[in-house]
This record gives sequence, C-alpha cells and structure tokens, in this order.
Amino acid sequence: MAGIWLDVLDELAGTCTAHGRADLLRTVRQKRAQLLDPALRVLVVGEPNQGKSQLVNAIVTAQVCPVGDGRTTVLPTVLRHAETASAVLVRTPSEPRAPGAGSPPGVERTPLPLDRIAAGVSGTLVPRSGGGAAHVEIGVPRALLGAGLVLVDTPGSDGAAGSGGAAPVAALHRADTVLLVSDSTRELSVAELNMLLHLTRSHPNVVVVQTKTDLVPDWRAVAERNRRHLQEAGVPAPLIPVSAALRMRAAAGDDHQLNAESGFPLLIARLRRDLAGKSDTLARASVTALARAVVEQLAAPLRAELENQQAAGREGPMARLHAAQREVDELRRCSTRWQNTLVDEMADLLSDVEYDMRERTRQILRAVDEAFDTADPLTGWDVFQGWLERSLTEAARENHEWLVRRCDWVARRVAGNFARYGHHVLPPWSMSVPDDLADRLPQLECPSVDRFTVSQKLLTGMKGSYGGMLMFGLALTLAGMPMINPVSVGFGALLGGKSIRDEGKQLLRRRQSTVKVAVQRHVDDFFVAMTKDCRDTVRQVQRLLRNHFTALTEELQEGIVESLRSAKQAAETDAAVRDRRQREIRAKMTGLARLYEQAQSLTVGRPGPVVLEQSA
Amino acid sequence: MTGGPGLEAAVRNLLHEALDRCRDDPRAAGPLRHQLARLDQPLRVAIAGPWRSGKSTLLNALMGETVAPVGEVAGSEAFVWYEDGPVPRATAWSTGQPPQELAVARSAAGMRVDLGGHAADGLTDIVVQWPTRSLRQLTLIDTPALGGADDPGPTIGRLLHEADAVLHLTRDGRDSDLRVLEAGRESLVGQAAPVPVVLVRSRADETGGGQIGALLTARQLARRQQRDPRVAALCLHVVACSGAVGLAGRTLGEAEFAALAELARVPRPQLEGHLLSADRFLRGELPVYVDTADRAALLDRLGLFGVRLATTLVRTGCDTRATLAAELVRRSGLAELRESVHRLFVDRQGVLKARSALAAVETVARTRPAPDTRALLDSVERVLAGAHEFAELRLFAALRGDRSGFDAAAVEEARRLIGGEGAGLAARLGVDHDVPVHRLWEAAGEAQRRWRERAEDPRLRLGQRRGAQVVARSCEGMLAELVDRSRRPAPA
Repeated sequence: MAGIWLDVLDELAGTCTAHGRADLLRTVRQKRAQLLDPALRVLVVGEPNQGKSQLVNAIVTAQVCPVGDGRTTVLPTVLRHAETASAVLVRTPSEPRAPGAGSPPGVERTPLPLDRIAAGVSGTLVPRSGGGAAHVEIGVPRALLGAGLVLVDTPGSDGAAGSGGAAPVAALHRADTVLLVSDSTRELSVAELNMLLHLTRSHPNVVVVQTKTDLVPDWRAVAERNRRHLQEAGVPAPLIPVSAALRMRAAAGDDHQLNAESGFPLLIARLRRDLAGKSDTLARASVTALARAVVEQLAAPLRAELENQQAAGREGPMARLHAAQREVDELRRCSTRWQNTLVDEMADLLSDVEYDMRERTRQILRAVDEAFDTADPLTGWDVFQGWLERSLTEAARENHEWLVRRCDWVARRVAGNFARYGHHVLPPWSMSVPDDLADRLPQLECPSVDRFTVSQKLLTGMKGSYGGMLMFGLALTLAGMPMINPVSVGFGALLGGKSIRDEGKQLLRRRQSTVKVAVQRHVDDFFVAMTKDCRDTVRQVQRLLRNHFTALTEELQEGIVESLRSAKQAAETDAAVRDRRQREIRAKMTGLARLYEQAQSLTVGRPGPVVLEQSA
Repeated sequence: MTGGPGLEAAVRNLLHEALDRCRDDPRAAGPLRHQLARLDQPLRVAIAGPWRSGKSTLLNALMGETVAPVGEVAGSEAFVWYEDGPVPRATAWSTGQPPQELAVARSAAGMRVDLGGHAADGLTDIVVQWPTRSLRQLTLIDTPALGGADDPGPTIGRLLHEADAVLHLTRDGRDSDLRVLEAGRESLVGQAAPVPVVLVRSRADETGGGQIGALLTARQLARRQQRDPRVAALCLHVVACSGAVGLAGRTLGEAEFAALAELARVPRPQLEGHLLSADRFLRGELPVYVDTADRAALLDRLGLFGVRLATTLVRTGCDTRATLAAELVRRSGLAELRESVHRLFVDRQGVLKARSALAAVETVARTRPAPDTRALLDSVERVLAGAHEFAELRLFAALRGDRSGFDAAAVEEARRLIGGEGAGLAARLGVDHDVPVHRLWEAAGEAQRRWRERAEDPRLRLGQRRGAQVVARSCEGMLAELVDRSRRPAPA
C-alpha cells in the first residue's frame, strides 16, 4: 500500500523541482524520509502549566521530564527508546543546514548525567546568548517507545498561535501526531482554539488531551463543552480526557482499574493505532495535507502572475498604442488650428497696419493744410520740406515697428498651438525696421509757383494807375481841369498800389493751393508706396510662418506615426508572448490540480478545500 | 504615604479650579464633580484578570460572603460595584436609560440579581450594596474578563480610570497576563504615579496538580516572580492566594467542619486513595458515613486540594471549626492578600485617591481649549511635584524595581520608613505598637540623622542621594507628627 502515496510524494518532489522551488523540495524530501521512518513522532504542545511534561511522563510511566510548578520546560525534550537510560544535550549552531546532510558537523552533543536532566531541560546549561537551537534527547527503556514511539515535549507557548517552533526538533511539520494539552480546570480558551485551528490547517493528525481530570469533579461537563467548542470552531480533532496523576499512581501500585480510570489506555491505544497505521492511513493523510500545502504554495505565485498579466494587458503596449493614436488625432486638429490662426491673424494685421498708416498720413496732411493756410510757400519751403520728410519718415518707422511687433505676436500666437510639443518652435527669423526708410521715400519736388516779379508788379501797377488816373482825369476835365492834374495822378497811384496788392494776394493764394495739392499728391504717393511695402512684408512673413509650421507639423507627424507603428508592433508581439505564458501557467495549474486530485484520492472522505482557481 | 491634609487640600483646590474653568462644559464638569465626591468615599479597588482567573471567587473571599457573581450576562462589559450599604440592593445603570432597581434574591449559593430583561449591550454598571464590614473602607469592583495582550479590549482603559488600585489576577503569572498592565502609563500622572497594582496568583491551590504542598509552592513562585525586575516594575507586590480555600475558610459552617472531621478519622493511606481524584472521592466507599451530596458540596467549596488540606489540618490538630477556619484562611494566602491590600492600598487611600483625582483632571484638561489645558496641566504637575507623598511613591517603586543601588539592608529600611510596611508611625519605625513615645522620638530622630547623612554623602550616586533625601524628609515628617501629638493629649 505504501506505493501509492510514495508515488504521489515523488511526483510532488518532481513538480517542486520543475517549479524551481528548492525550499519546498526540501520539505517534501524531509516528509518522505519521515514517513518512511517507522517511528511515530508525537509532538506535545499547549499553553504553560497545562501538564505537558507530566503527560509525557505518564505515557511512559516514568519521571523522565522534569515537572515543576513554574516554567520548567524551556528546551524541547525528545524522548525515545534506549536500552539504558541516557540523556544528551544537543546544540545546533544557528547557521542554516545544508540540505540532505545527515548530521551536520556543527551539532554539538553533550552527554548529561541523569540527575542533571532537569537542569538541562530548564535551559540553565545553555547560554541564552549563544544563539542556535538546543534540545535534550532522553532515552528510556520502555516497550511503548521500543515499538517506535518518539515523544517530543515542548515549552509552553504563551499566546502565540504557533507551536514552540524555535527548535527544529520541535517543528510542527516533522511531527506525525500533535497532542494539544489543556487542563480540566477550565474550558478551551480562545487562544487555544486559535492555536488548534492553526494546527489542524497544517497538520492532519491533532488530538486534544484534557489533563488533570483528577482535580475537578465536573471534568466530564468540561470535556463535553470542549467537544462542542471544537465542533463549533470546525476543528476535526478528537478529545481525550486523562489524569496523569492517576496513571502514575496506578503504575506505582500496578492498579489496572486505576489505570483505566486515568483515561490513558484510550490515549495510548490511539497512539498505537497511529503507529501501526503510520505507513498507511497516517501517511496518506500526511501526504494529502502536504500536497495541499505544497500545491497551494506552488499555485499562489502562478495565480499572482496570471492576475498580474491580466492587469498588465490593460496597461503596457496596448495602452501605448492607444496613446499614439490619440496623439495623431491631436496633431491633425492642431494643424488645422494653427493654419486658421495664421490666416485670420494676418488678415487682421494687414487691415490694422493700413489703417494705422492712413491715420498717420491724414494727420500730417491736416498739419500741412493748416500751415499753408497762412504761410507762404515761397518763404518757408525749405523748412517745410524738412519737416514733411521727418514726419513721413517718423510715421513710416512707427508703422513698421508696429508691424514687426504684430508679426512677432502673430508668430507666437500660432506657435501657441504647438505648446504641448515643446517650446522651441518659433521660426528662426528676425524682423526689424529697415534703416533706409528715409531713402525709400519719394522725393518731394518743389512745385513751380508763380513769383511776383518786379516787372509784373510794375506792369500791374501801371495798369491799375492808368485806369484810375484816366477815370479821375476825365471827371475833372468836366470841372475844367486838365486831364492830367495832380489829383488824377494821385488817384492813379492809389489805385495802382491797390491793384498790385490784390494781385500779390491772389498770387499767394494760388501758390498755397498749388503747394497743398502737390503735398497731397506726394503724401498719397508715399502712402501707396508704404502700403505696398507693408503688404509685401506681411505676405512674406505669412509665407515664412506657414512654411515653418508646416515643416514642424510634418516633423511631429512623422515622429508620432513612427511611435504609433512601433506601439502597434509591440502590442502585437506582447500579446503573443503573454498568450504563450498564460497557456504555460494554465498548463502548470492543470498539472497541479491533477496532482492535488491524486493526493486527495489517497484519503477518500476527507475532502479539503479546492485551492486552485480553475476559471483563471 | 498617608496622604496628609496638605495633599488633600491641594487636590481639592485643583478640582475646584478645574471646575471653575469648566463651568460651561457639562461633559467636563461631571467627572470632576464625581472626583470631588470620591475623595470622601471609600477607596475603589478593582479586581481584574483574564477569563476564568477566579475574579468573583476572590471577591467573595475578600468580602467573606458569597455575593458574587451577580448573574452572568453574556457578552456584558458591565462593571459590578460592591459597596457598603444598610440593606442588600442592586441598581443597574445603562447608557441612555434611568437607573433601575433590580430584584435581589439571597440564597445559599449567593445572591442572584434578576436583570429583568435588561439589554446587556447598554448596561454599563451594576451597583450592589451589601451590608458587610469588609466594605467599610473599600469598594470592590468586579470587572469583565480582560482579553489577551494583543487585544485587551476596552475594559483595561476604563478600569485604570475608575479604580484607585487594582488587584490583577493571573492563573500562573504568564507573560501575556502581565503585558496587559503596561497600558495606561503614558499620561503625566500615569508616569509620575501609575495605578498601584498587586498581582495575585489566584487559583494557587491548583499549582502542581493540587498536591498538598501546592500553596507553599505557589507562595514560593510568587516570591520568585516578585524578584523579577519586569514584574516589579509593573506591580507593587505579588501574592499567591487561593480564593476558593480562603472563602471556604471564612465561611466554614459547622456541618462542613463535621464532615471534614469525619473524613479525617479515616486512616491516612486509605483516605489518600479516596482523594486521588474527584471522581474517586465522590463515588468511593468510605468507611465513615459522609453523604454523597455533602461530599459534592465539600468538593464544590474547597476543591480537591482543599479537602486534602482540610483533612490533613484536622488530623494534625486543628480540631475545632474556628481553628480550622483560621488555618485555612492563613494557608490560602487570603490573610496575606488582605494584609497587603490594607498595607498597600487602604493605609494610603489618601494619596491613591489624590492620584485618581489628578489623573481625572489631566484627562479633562486634555479635552479643553489650549489655555485651560496649559493652566490645568501646570497645576497638576505642580501638585505631583510638590507633594512628598508622590515622591515617596516614586521612591517606593524605584526600591522595588531594584533601581536604587542601595544595599539590601538599606533598601529594607528605606521601604519601611517611607511606609512600605504600613503607614503608622510604629510600623514605619519598625517598633512595636505599644512602645512609649520617647522611643518613637529616639527611633525617628536616629533614622532622620542617618538618612540625612546619607543624603549628603558625596560618595553616593546622585540617584541614591536623592532617594536618601526623600527618606530623610519622611523622617522629618514623622518627627513633626510627634511634635503635633505631644501638643495634643494623646487619645487613650
């Protein structure tokens, strides 16, 4: 019968190797060696002062383990058969053991005289600071032990949920049967129940021993309540009430009835049954439990990986692909946006600049009009010409400066559309106000104006004076005076002067209007020239900007498309890899599940929880 | 450590000051008024411990009557207060409900209180008034079981708040029971003067399987534990006490004595066979006639160990009810426990109550707005630092924790002088009660000189000199008391 569980165990070891879990493999190998060992290893655990050592003593009916009222057992004590009574203090250095080594060289064995067992067990012979684990091995000649029973007495565990696992000799997984000791003076405490739950989860064979039944009259009620507690907590452990004191007494007096009363025959029968069934039922149960533990441990990382991968599918390359696609869309929108911006802004700019120029020239003309309403172009032409040139140059410069600023602003505005791609996208251009603005101005010629020359004045005067003299001369002739007389000459001179003055005024007005017209024409010319200039500049700028940003867009698009392509590729390959890995994991899980089923079938009627996530 | 008038007045002033500041806040003023009233009430001693550690049994043993338990309320977190009163009565206090009188039925098995359909979850306190001498100076509090060290539950916090002193029960003195006590040491008052705790190894009769030497062994273990510095830092004293045997001793009836005497007539080897186990004792065929019901009653009252002990005692000379009862009380450790309670708690009730009041003021102060908090905490600290009684308490703890550095004889003397053995003058000076006054003068003067010298000895460490200073100051206090006494004619 041993074959079946051994096969499962070997397969388990193979699986551990396949999964590369050397630690689990060591556990499995240890279990294998332990199960093949015919000896039954019984671990006695429990809270302090429950009578653990006394129980061990009563089982072998000898005062072997020291029993005291305080905390007596400090080191785990291993009790096994020997022809003559002997005791050894074993100290294991704290460095980890090499797997497979039978007896590591570091183990230090000190024989103890029998009268110093108590001192050894209470830990006084071992320096606490030494580190490493120590335990005491005691050999006694007893038939029960000779049949292969090994008892391990442990120090009381205070509150903690595990067994006294400080020393490897008391380790839970090396035990075949675990006895949890609790005395009859009270029911199982919450801490003890927790400990039991912990024990039964990792160990198939746990028995609760209720000691000290001699001490209290109502131990049966306590036992009953304890059984109920165990049932409620779902702990599949039988409860055996015993009295070590009665058993010792019975052994001393060879009193069979008292022995029966002590409850020990039941416990010992149980241990014997375990011993006999070790190679079969117990081993099957152990293997099942071990398989459950190992499979759970192996499956846990696989399950985690599977979950991780599923999570990774949601981020990873696919996410990058989606991001790249979003990026392409965004760039497309961006390019429409910047083109619109450029066109709109440039149109606005042009109209604004033209209006500005017109405004400036108008002001100049108004000033010119006002000036020539009074001034005589003849006298101040040079001054005027200087002023006009300066004004026009000034207007042209200011207008141009404004144009430059606006162009710059427009460029930035358009570049703002590219803000998310970086800051350095302004075109490498610089516009400035040209220095030769003044030279580009059309030359203003002095208009040809009529001068009032001396001969003209003389002629005009003569013409005027002639008429007057004649008018007055004729009138005076009627009065009998000669035609030319002083009065008529006087009048003639008067009128002549007047006609000269009138003629002068008239000429001045004509000159002024001529100049005004000339200046107006000049300014118009200037305006047309400047506007043309402006339009050219703006068009140039627009072209420059358009070229620049188009290039930029293309560049960006190229990069994004490239990343899109690579993301797409990565997503495809990654999906393939993940698929393969998932298939691998699933295959492994299935293998584990099969192994688990196999182990479960060893002990029919003892189903454990299904550990694998089959729907993964 | 008597808690002289100075300290009490200071604490009263502090409470009034705090009340003055908290007039507008009923939630703060309530506890303060409560504390003020408590100063005139008996000392409150809580009996705490984990599940099934024998709290109620010990409480009954201390009262000398079977009163507890008041009815088991499953999952209840209610405190049960036992105080002196003219007639037995019980009142239930719940949150959000008016207090309600409970029906009390007195029976041989103790008192039964009918909870009358009270919801267990709202129930916070049950106050039991019981006419007994033991409660004149003490109010005992039976508390719900403490959880483990990882999750001690709400009980421990409330307990350290409500009680002036604590008897902490443990079955076998394991570490997890002790760790619970480390709570509540972080406040100002908690650091300067923690709640005094006496650790009781209850159920001492079950030590070592209930053999005849169980109580002696338990006492030895208690003594050994007391020397452990970790335990000494947490507890004032460790006592082994079997509540069951003690209670049986205090309430031993004639019928019980007769049954025990009858049993003691059986030859020893034969009786031992019958006393091997409870079952054998109940069912065995005894050569003398003791009714099975009586035997069951004896087992129930005394336990197997108690029966073993009592029969042995009867056989070895305790042949009357009174002597047997006295011997049982003595052996059970109950006498020692009561003595410790008196010496460590009752004799110092002034300072212990003052301590509780200061702790309460501190708690209230921390809930107040900042200026009040600062002022009140300052006052608390002033009282703590100024009262010599607290200096004595601190020195006492230091001496117990063996942190003083004095030699053993000096430690012993210092402990006695600062009131560790009892607060009376004679007890402090280590002389008999009836010595003439001039002997007291001499002893006090001599001690004062010696310790003053020690306080000024430059060869000693600073901590030792400070300690010696405290002792010398205590001696001066005693001299002052003697002066007081000589002015007034001593009462006859």
